[in-house]
Amino acid sequence: MKRPTVLLIDDEPIVGQRLKGTLEKLGCEVDVFQDPGKALDRIREKGFDIIVTDVMMPDVNGIQILEAAKAVNADAKVIIITGFATSDLARECMEKGAFDMIAKPFKPSDLRSMVVRAATEMGFTDIQER
Amino acid sequence: MWFFNSTPTHDERDDLLGRPSFNFRLQIILGFFTFFILSVVITIGAMLTISRIERKIETVSTWERFLYNIEQARRWEKNYFLYGTNLDDALESTANAQAILNENLHYLEQMSIPWPKEELMRDLALYQSSLKMLAPISLQEFNTADGRMAVEADLRRYGAQVVTEAAALAAKEHELIAKWLNIVQKVPVYFLIFLFFLMIYVARFLSLRFMQPLKQLVQHTQRIAKGDFTPVKPARKYRDEFTTVEVAINRMLRELESRQNSLIESHKLRAVGILTAGVAHELNNPLNNIMLSAHSLLEEYDELSKDEHTEMITDIIQETDRSRAIVHNLLDFTRENKSVMQPLDLSLLLNETAKLAFNQARVRGVAIQLDIEPELPAIRGDRQQLKQVFLNLVLNALDAVNKGGRIQLKARKQPNHRIIVEVEDNGCGIPPEVLPNIFDPFFTTKPVGKGTGLGLSVSHGIISNHGGRIEVASEQGRYSRFTVTLPWGATQTAATSDQRQPQEGAS
Repeated sequence: MKRPTVLLIDDEPIVGQRLKGTLEKLGCEVDVFQDPGKALDRIREKGFDIIVTDVMMPDVNGIQILEAAKAVNADAKVIIITGFATSDLARECMEKGAFDMIAKPFKPSDLRSMVVRAATEMGFTDIQER
Repeated sequence: MWFFNSTPTHDERDDLLGRPSFNFRLQIILGFFTFFILSVVITIGAMLTISRIERKIETVSTWERFLYNIEQARRWEKNYFLYGTNLDDALESTANAQAILNENLHYLEQMSIPWPKEELMRDLALYQSSLKMLAPISLQEFNTADGRMAVEADLRRYGAQVVTEAAALAAKEHELIAKWLNIVQKVPVYFLIFLFFLMIYVARFLSLRFMQPLKQLVQHTQRIAKGDFTPVKPARKYRDEFTTVEVAINRMLRELESRQNSLIESHKLRAVGILTAGVAHELNNPLNNIMLSAHSLLEEYDELSKDEHTEMITDIIQETDRSRAIVHNLLDFTRENKSVMQPLDLSLLLNETAKLAFNQARVRGVAIQLDIEPELPAIRGDRQQLKQVFLNLVLNALDAVNKGGRIQLKARKQPNHRIIVEVEDNGCGIPPEVLPNIFDPFFTTKPVGKGTGLGLSVSHGIISNHGGRIEVASEQGRYSRFTVTLPWGATQTAATSDQRQPQEGAS
């Protein structure tokens, strides 16, 4: 059974630390990056099924990640994490094909259900909250 | 310190009004009164001298009449000796002279120059008695030598003496008259010359007294326009018409100062408003970390090791601290503080300022680069206000740059006790035609509702109060650079006292 690959990018280290385990428990294969530049390289190297990225990061922002991910794999589901959601940003993300957005601070369960939805849409059947 | 003492003291008014009053009306009246008194003195002096001359002239004419009679008598006397006639005429003339002298004796004693009254009277009497001695003698008898010789000698001697004395007196009196006339002629000329210079002096004095306060008022308005709201100090010893203006200016200054303070306050809040996105983002990061950590603990408590428990709880505590620091930094900036001048670490202040704007810049995709020389000397200043100035400059820069732009915040020490802080962006630049106006109040290039046009004018006011300067250089489409020069150490105290000096120097 193929497991969905998940890339989690946030320049806050705690986000990765806390979410890696919980997403793995869902049955995902999780890569965590703090440096969006390196993450970008990784995306180009290997397409991911689901990408969870913070939008505001130094040097490379979430929108660039979104564009790169979509360029590599148009079917990839990109979930955008924002610290402060503006309608402009939301519109831009949606126009560029983001799967959904989640605003900080969020509960792990919120993200989990979002990832489950994305995985389900992509056809991964055994991914669900337990 | 002195400038932002927002509560107006009554001292400055008392200082102005506490002086004794000596107004210009009084000064002008005094000036004219002096002229009047001088003219009165000169007029009275002239009148007195002229009346004395009049009396002198009378004295002279008395002496001349006396002299004429004596001379007449001597001519008759000569006739008598030559032809034996006119002895009676001689006696009569002598009697006339005697009468003139007797009549005017009292007057002459008072009015004439000192004269040998006794001698003159005696000589006259002797002359008269000698003449009388001739009367009973017939001419034939008289022609016998002895008696005639004696009488003739006496007559000649006394007659000559009286004539000489009287002539000398008349001449002396004449001389005196001439002298006084001379004085009466010259004094008005001297007086006119004196008056001329006196008038020049008084005119100069009065106009200087008018010009000096006017000049000071102009100086005051100039420094007020630059944002120095120090109250006007008494510069002159006395209160006058300008004091009312000065008191009014001080009242206006207090109003301006409180307006300025509320302007600064409202601008601070505006800056905070602009920062919202950045602050929200900045604050949501630690909050998210806390949320994730707490939920992880809650969900996986039993599966986690004790070390992991400790790690998460430590994270929660640290992230709470981080949130508190963010809120503190913002509140510290927002808090309505009484403005205080204190020694400041400029590099710390600039770092705090950059932190305030940092996330906002990140939201916009703009990098803020700090280049602050280590170990900058401490400056005296108002922390909040200076922070506001630099934040304002950074936020302006943020408005000017596009995504991917760059803002540089540089600080370095200069010789001559100055510190230079530069805020430079590589944004759209400022059109040269608006460059000269950008520090003017209400000048803005932003659309209505986006800017009040007061940010830079408020900044300019704040920097002026710190004895500093704010300048701008820009090239359209390339860069804008705002340079703030602030004094530190000895220069700063000199700069702040500079602004007070004009008043103290003039008083």
